[in-house]
Amino acid sequence: MASDPDAALMLAFQNGDERAFRTLFERHGRAMVGFCHHYVKDGARAEELAQDVFLKVHRSAARYQPTARFRTWLYRIAANHCLNELRRGEYGARREAAAREGGSAPVDLDSLPGGAATPEQAAVGEALAGAVRELLARLPEKQRTAFVLCRLEGLSYEEIAEVLETSVSAVKSLLHRATVAAAEALAPWSAPDGKEARQ
Amino acid sequence: MTRHLDQELTALLDGALPPARAREVEQHLAGCASCRAERDRLAHAVQLLAALPPPPAPSPDFSRGFYARLDAEPTARAGVLELLRRARWRNLVPIAGGALTLALVVGALASYRAEQARLARGLDLYQDYELVAGLDAVQDPEDVLVVGHLDELPAGARP
Repeated sequence: MASDPDAALMLAFQNGDERAFRTLFERHGRAMVGFCHHYVKDGARAEELAQDVFLKVHRSAARYQPTARFRTWLYRIAANHCLNELRRGEYGARREAAAREGGSAPVDLDSLPGGAATPEQAAVGEALAGAVRELLARLPEKQRTAFVLCRLEGLSYEEIAEVLETSVSAVKSLLHRATVAAAEALAPWSAPDGKEARQ
Repeated sequence: MTRHLDQELTALLDGALPPARAREVEQHLAGCASCRAERDRLAHAVQLLAALPPPPAPSPDFSRGFYARLDAEPTARAGVLELLRRARWRNLVPIAGGALTLALVVGALASYRAEQARLARGLDLYQDYELVAGLDAVQDPEDVLVVGHLDELPAGARP
């Protein structure tokens, strides 16, 4: 895929250019932490998972085929890694315990999430994030990954199909079901311009 | 009419429909209050999700921690060994097990034959008859009979 500069870097790394790999990490490392955050929600663990993903990329560089876009290949590795993490009993147990305690983490008004102008907005944002977290935990694995990639990472249907190694038509179906579930879960919330939840 | 538009409504909101299909869906929406209500419900969720705060930024140690882990990775040659250790051990275990079993069988056979040879060297003693008769290698009863009467043969005719 000659038009993909990341693929060119990956090919350079395959030929022994370690700096090309480091450039890929600098470009996508932070985004991977954010992606992993949608699965584990624990900042330190999300960072560790993102590091794992790049170590996997480093180890399995020889298997990379430039027919796949680097970004979708990276997300495929990351999604599989995060889902494996969720399948591990110990983490699942902690997650369920957190959900039983009410899901949303207490709001720290001293650290405003990005974009929040006031502590109140930050609190609403955090509470909404908690509701989305609970929604994600309930979705089946494929729906969850498709939903995260589309709604939270901004990938196109075609890119998601590449990540999930499925058809665009299947992605359409997965996203529709997940969006219907989101509409039900988020119905009590007012539109973002209102900035307040009705619950 | 809502049912057959379900998936199309989400794809329409995401701008993922081909233009011709998008026009058809828009036309349908213009005349179908039920589908419009469903579209608005889905659009509300999509809008809320787009307004979510971004995940927190990685800690300052993220990159440094990664490079430290990368530097601790095995070198290329050690990496191959590591790969063998990690990826092939499931294959190596049955292969090694099979080789060990084969070696034990061959060893046992060799030992068995050596014992037979030792016994055969002393066949001129009658007390060896019972041992020889018990050997699986002596399959024919006539062989056992011959062995049992070896001491009756003239000395020069014995094996």
